[in-house]
Amino acid sequence: MSKKTLKFYIALWGAKAGSILLKLLRRNATYFPGKFALSLCPNFIDMIDKYKTIIGVTGTNGKTTVCNMIEDILKENNYQFIDNKYGSNIDSGIATTLIAGATLTGKPKKDIAVLEIDERSASKVFPYLTPTYLICTNLFRDSLMRNAHTEFIAGVLTKYIPKETKLIVNADDLICSNIAPDNEKIYFGIDRLETDTTKSNNIVRDIIVCPKCNTKLEYEYYRYHHIGKAHCPNCNFGTPEADYRASKIDIKEKNMTITLKDGTKEQYYTPNTNIINLYNILAVIVVLKQIGLTQEQINNGLKKLKVVETRYSEDEYEGVKIITHLAKGMNPIACSRAFEYAKTTDGNKIAIVLIDDLHEDAKGTENIAWQYDTDFEFLNDESIKQVIIAGPRYLDTIVRMRLADVPKEKIEYAKNEVEATAKANLEGIDKVVILHDLYSLEETERIKNKIKEMIKEKKSK
Amino acid sequence: MHKCIPDAEVIETEINQTPAFVNEKIDFIYLGPCSERGQEIIIQKLKPYKEKIEELIDNGTVFLFTGNAMEILGDSIKNEDGSKIDGLGIFHIRAKRDMMHRQNSNIIGKYEDIEIVGFKSQFTKAYGDIEDNYFMELELGMGMNENTNYEGIKKNNFIATYVIGPILILNPLFTKKIMQMLGIENPKLALEEEVTTAYEARLKEFYQKFKSEKKDKGEKKEEKK
Repeated sequence: MSKKTLKFYIALWGAKAGSILLKLLRRNATYFPGKFALSLCPNFIDMIDKYKTIIGVTGTNGKTTVCNMIEDILKENNYQFIDNKYGSNIDSGIATTLIAGATLTGKPKKDIAVLEIDERSASKVFPYLTPTYLICTNLFRDSLMRNAHTEFIAGVLTKYIPKETKLIVNADDLICSNIAPDNEKIYFGIDRLETDTTKSNNIVRDIIVCPKCNTKLEYEYYRYHHIGKAHCPNCNFGTPEADYRASKIDIKEKNMTITLKDGTKEQYYTPNTNIINLYNILAVIVVLKQIGLTQEQINNGLKKLKVVETRYSEDEYEGVKIITHLAKGMNPIACSRAFEYAKTTDGNKIAIVLIDDLHEDAKGTENIAWQYDTDFEFLNDESIKQVIIAGPRYLDTIVRMRLADVPKEKIEYAKNEVEATAKANLEGIDKVVILHDLYSLEETERIKNKIKEMIKEKKSK
Repeated sequence: MHKCIPDAEVIETEINQTPAFVNEKIDFIYLGPCSERGQEIIIQKLKPYKEKIEELIDNGTVFLFTGNAMEILGDSIKNEDGSKIDGLGIFHIRAKRDMMHRQNSNIIGKYEDIEIVGFKSQFTKAYGDIEDNYFMELELGMGMNENTNYEGIKKNNFIATYVIGPILILNPLFTKKIMQMLGIENPKLALEEEVTTAYEARLKEFYQKFKSEKKDKGEKKEEKK
């Protein structure tokens, strides 16, 4: 940590004053104060006093969910902490959080900081901030334009993660588990599941050959994309043994057993048993155990968790279930997972697909290359009776859907989401699954309302 | 392409396999974008077949290289620290990496009488004289580097472009052209109606949305003259 300079104090006080002003004006103060401080004092994050314990969370998918869970459980157990829940996860957002949590002399007001850290911003954050623990949830291909490919992102993380940071990484992800090879690591993983396969069901796997000797990896089983258990037949590269291993996942009772390396077994409540969330919960349990929470404290917190509604919601209306499921645009893995959910959830379904990144589209046009890394093939299923496509890129989505062999007669579309929804045929339908992007929340609400209106109309006839 | 030519046999070559074109007659050879490390491995793997590739290009075999695959056949790829990786040296371009600045652009290019639309997303720019064998001239977007509107390489039926996939799906006219190069008379595309509607809409959108960008570029050109 560098010595505080006059510039640092001007940046801190200026940012604090700016933050108060923005709040008075009811403007968003989630990154601007930090941006201001960093522009005035580029070493700002380095100079500000650090927290006793910094929990960092990075990775491609699940960062926000993991942070939310950590924060909720800490709160439930009366721990004092700061977080960037309402701030951005890049350097300016992190600086904003540290400013808000600091006294006028730059000292932290609390002991713990929980920070979501964008994996691409590692180069701007880690030279100045050393997390005590850093969770890396997983590493997949994400926005091609921003993140390029996983080798690039893994390389950035390896280069910038401080050597003193203890990593908590996903053992079942061969890219994630191999970042920062010299750092101390705790691995978490999930034992073989009934749903695992010996053949990959996905278009994309971001690691196919051994990074050490280029031999094709052999998979004992696939879980989703490159997640699973694999080894190189030519050298010692392969899935590491997990320090925390989840097994006996009981969907009905909502619990799982975690086996520690020494053989100790502990049972935990799992509010959500879909595979992605099991990994997220596991990462949360591991980090909370490191900072001293007991099994009981963690379980108490887990029992009170709620899934954030913007990610998943269920609403039953006149016997029809309306489900909203986040399908993050330009993120092939997140969308593939959402499409697989639409396929596997029971009942006769209509899938409404609203995956265009409206944010990207407002800036110009969306590069749709990612659609060809995404498993639209999941939507070609007997149980999905109709696929409704909306959004500015609907013509591209129709082509992709048809290339996935979704029959023409099952597809309805319109650029406007309400107009498209009006084409839904609710006859014999149990569930309407709205698969939507993060920036389409208002549009999703309009779709929901339209569906309810149509159900009501149908009943009154 | 397979959906357009359902009878075609598709051979996928993995990194440790000998490319099929070494021992068999192959009609169409495709290489897509790869990671930087992947590029370096492929260069080593293809080095023994440099002459074979040159021979295939000379005898009119159809090739399509997209994204940074083109650099594999160039003279060199330079890293930010000055270190250099030698390419196969079949085409005289030199690529320069800048890993902290990704270049993203939307393009409209003219190849013969066809307008090509698409996207570029790369860490590199390429330099070298391609005036006599460029693939297309861009009306929108960055060419091989910031100083040129020329994009890609074309020699006989060899085509390389930084434009990434799904270039064929986005460009039905270009796909038909490739099918003609493969000797298919009156080519018919899979989902012809859907892809053509999407192509026409994108072309219109690019012209409308980026018209000012195009105009600015034109004005800059004027100033230079």
